[in-house]
Amino acid sequence: MSLDDHAPSIGVLANPAAGRDIRRLVAQASVFPIAEKRNMITRLFSSLGMLGVGTVYMMSDGNGIADRIRHALETPPPSDQIWPKVVFLDMPIEDRAVDTLVAAEKMVAHGVGGIIVLGGDGTHRLVASRAGDVPITALSTGTNNVFPAMREASIAGLAAGLVATGQVPVGDCAVRNKVLRVDVNGVESDLALVDLCTSTELWIGSRALWRAEGLDQLFLSFAEADAIGLSSIGGLIRPVTRAAEGGLWLNLADPASAPIIVTAPLAPGLMIDIGVEAVQDLRPGEAISLRAERGVVALDGEREIEFSQTDKLAVRLEWDGPLTLDISKVMTYAAEHELLHRVNAN
Amino acid sequence: MPLSKDELLKAYRMMKTIREFEERLHVEFATGEIPGFVHLYAGEEASATGFCMHLDDRDKIASNHRGHGHSIGKGCDVDAMMAEIYGRGNGLCGGKGGSMHIADLSKGMMGANGIVGGGSPLACGAALAAKQLGTGGVAISFFGDGASNQGTSMESLNLASVWNLPCIFVVENNGYAEATSSKYSVACDDAADRASAFNMPGVVVDGHDFFAVYEAAGEAVKRAREGKGPTLIECKLNRYYGHFEGDAQTYRGKDEVKNLRATIDCLDRFRAKVTSADLLSEAELDVIDGEVAALIDGSVEKAKAAPMPAPAELLTDVYISY
Amino acid sequence: MARNISYQQAIGEALAQEMERDETVILMGEDVAGGAGSPGEDDAWGGVLGVTKGLYGKFGDRVMDTPITESAFIGAAVGAATSGLRPVAELMFIDFMGVCFDQMFNQAAKFRYMFGGNAETPVVIRTMYGAGFRAAAQHSQCLYPVFTHIPGLKVVTPSTPYDAKGLLIQSIRDNDPVIFCEHKALYTLEGDVPEEAYAIPFGEANVTREGDDVTIVTLGRMLHVAHEAADALAKEKISCEVVDLRTTSPMDTDTIIESVENTGRLVVLDESHPRCSIATDVSAIVAQEAFGALKAPIRMVTAPHVPVPFAENLEDLYIPDAGQVQQAVRTVMGKD
Ligand SMILES: Cc1ncc(C[n+]2csc(CCOP(=O)(O)OP(=O)(O)O)c2C)c(N)n1
Ligand SMILES: [Mg+2]
Repeated sequence: MSLDDHAPSIGVLANPAAGRDIRRLVAQASVFPIAEKRNMITRLFSSLGMLGVGTVYMMSDGNGIADRIRHALETPPPSDQIWPKVVFLDMPIEDRAVDTLVAAEKMVAHGVGGIIVLGGDGTHRLVASRAGDVPITALSTGTNNVFPAMREASIAGLAAGLVATGQVPVGDCAVRNKVLRVDVNGVESDLALVDLCTSTELWIGSRALWRAEGLDQLFLSFAEADAIGLSSIGGLIRPVTRAAEGGLWLNLADPASAPIIVTAPLAPGLMIDIGVEAVQDLRPGEAISLRAERGVVALDGEREIEFSQTDKLAVRLEWDGPLTLDISKVMTYAAEHELLHRVNAN
Repeated sequence: MPLSKDELLKAYRMMKTIREFEERLHVEFATGEIPGFVHLYAGEEASATGFCMHLDDRDKIASNHRGHGHSIGKGCDVDAMMAEIYGRGNGLCGGKGGSMHIADLSKGMMGANGIVGGGSPLACGAALAAKQLGTGGVAISFFGDGASNQGTSMESLNLASVWNLPCIFVVENNGYAEATSSKYSVACDDAADRASAFNMPGVVVDGHDFFAVYEAAGEAVKRAREGKGPTLIECKLNRYYGHFEGDAQTYRGKDEVKNLRATIDCLDRFRAKVTSADLLSEAELDVIDGEVAALIDGSVEKAKAAPMPAPAELLTDVYISY
Repeated sequence: MARNISYQQAIGEALAQEMERDETVILMGEDVAGGAGSPGEDDAWGGVLGVTKGLYGKFGDRVMDTPITESAFIGAAVGAATSGLRPVAELMFIDFMGVCFDQMFNQAAKFRYMFGGNAETPVVIRTMYGAGFRAAAQHSQCLYPVFTHIPGLKVVTPSTPYDAKGLLIQSIRDNDPVIFCEHKALYTLEGDVPEEAYAIPFGEANVTREGDDVTIVTLGRMLHVAHEAADALAKEKISCEVVDLRTTSPMDTDTIIESVENTGRLVVLDESHPRCSIATDVSAIVAQEAFGALKAPIRMVTAPHVPVPFAENLEDLYIPDAGQVQQAVRTVMGKD
């Protein structure tokens, strides 16, 4: 075995499909080209290689990121950079969300010291459901997200690498997240990281929710006043931080008759009046049954579950979500402990 | 605006008619009775249907070599289409065009096309006419992932954007152009990336899900009718048969099609959704299945019995003959 | 040593031998390997009709599948030809020249002359033409007269396996752009073809049958129709000489004139349309150069001036047949 096999490893999971949904048509959501995702990933490699991460595990995909990375690996990195060894996971490729789930599971099984996720809320949601206690570095690829932030990839790579190589203790710089879990007929079914919304629309259709009509109940694990998307409805009425103990739930109504009207940015460039009937605290562990008889459940903004009269659905807020790295904290720790600077002895 | 019961029935009938038409052609082609190149649309029905459900007489579509589904969607007569594919005198184009050139201008179907990439400029023209004449009509170009690489496709995206045309570009990405994978041939992975370069919205939808296509199509048609300009929509879908009938398909993965049929078939998904939501009953859908089967049976029977074109037709429909 | 192989095999063999001989020869086109990026076989097609099947296995990335982007890849073949390669680009059907004609006639054709003799463009564009496949109006045309019209392009229309191999080898070795036109109905035609490589020079028509009464000038698939007619006419005691042009640019006018001077009568047989065509061109040359030898007006037998129809009966009527040739010969013989 070479030294590399003992060196720490990291998973990099990029969702090729992120950023192409109907919000580009019904709102003005950004398009994030695959070429730029590829560039972000090679910037991650530079940071990870520099810090001594030996192996990067990546999802095999049918959509081109893997191919582009293979191509990038054939052309040597700039100057004297050392990139980690890149291993594409051996997995079936379905070009669907399940690929992300499988890849995350395999990364965890390989014992990675962290998973760097490139994507939107939806991608992070999928990874969160499989990451367990492996810390996630969340990178947004687009302007339409709440959970991950838009950050420069080389810095995110440094932070993830410092933690994976043990130079920065994870306990000091990672935070646990809340999640919203949905039970269907008593069985735990899926989760949302930020918002879970029911609508009386019948179909998953083109996935996003962008119309006021039909929105019925909204559950939020946190609600920031400066967020985009459904969580802004709560955030503009009663902000709740990521760290706060509980969340919020709101019953929505026709703005014509509702007691509160919020003008919410439901998608980039799309401000819509939403009627709110009631806002309540959502306490951890408490199960709230959904009031609609049939419709769809959207998880982090995307319609995922169609349900009918015969189904019983309930939502819970739990504190067993993913661990995410606080990039600023990691880098501050690195500065304080002189990890990336040294005194020139000459 | 949820679909009414009648609309759901209409959508199902349209998809089913396309499917039966193609499945039957597959069988009939194997007997050797159908001449020429036949490219089947089976598996892709949700795309044509999701768009055509929003169209009316003002609207035009330009199609490609895989055009039977678009033609049925835009209302071409099934008997006349079948007769055309058999090369009969009573065919939709008098037997002169065949499968690759089915057209019915009176229905706004501007033609299947033997030239990959040939349709989009024509759709721009139809959209320009609608705009200049103020008809409120829109034009749709249906083309493949392979065609999306053609210069005419890119030029049309640019022109439609520059002229702010009521034109919708539908990329039916079935993963292959003949034997070549789109993963090899298309330098960006989603047409949405290209759309943004031409300053128009680009959206990817699940082309196996009628409701996904229908919703996105509705928004694009609305945008076009309101004068807000062109849209590109990429439907990710699959074809169930070879590039053309007779293609051995050794470039495809083992059991690829079998798995697709079993897991994401657009008709199965439609049926499962509308019945579990209690909007339509199995029995109502079965009635349509029966009617469609009879329609296609009849069309094949009539086509086989129909006479060939009169020899004199060789020299008609052209301004001069010598 | 000659063996009996098909027109299609002869073309494949010429490509393989030239690629073996000269590593600057590359092949590109849509599905010339077939299966790029696909989960199954890499060399799945070898061209739509399998003409280039097996070459990918032998020559790897010198056999390139292209996206459907004829302007770009035909143009790239032309550009590569000016820069040290000898590309053979396949334009699947001749009808698709509509998509990429500029790169052929404004670019490739012009370089040598327009740059004062400072450029060589050794590119071959292989393309499939002709009716009879029920492929309708956009996949059945005979457009070589259009290329023949353009100075700077060489245009080749082999009619037999032997000619296909020898002319393709010449095309690849030639330093000018060559449009190599393959009739799709000839691919399965078999004939004797030497195993070793050989080149047939351009501009040398082939007198495939000698005769005294009438000269039939033809090319491509129609050569075989001409022979069928000549066989039938022999029974009527009419002796036909058949001239196969082999290349329409350059065109071997000497052989045509010489033959007409012997027979005194000319029938031109061509599958393309009648106006501004090979038939009119050959007729004009003979009218100008050998008018005195003519004992009767020239007759042209061509397809009618209409697009190619789909219906089987109409397409059969469309394609010139031996009966029409016999009739034309009888007419010039004054026997109708
Ligand atoms: C200009 C032109 N080039 C090539 C062809 C041959 N051809 C016919 S269909 C096809 C593949 C088209 O692929 P795509 O656009 O993805 O449509 P699909 O067949 O997958 O529906 C090709 C190369 C053609 N008809 N026209
Ligand atoms: Mg395709």
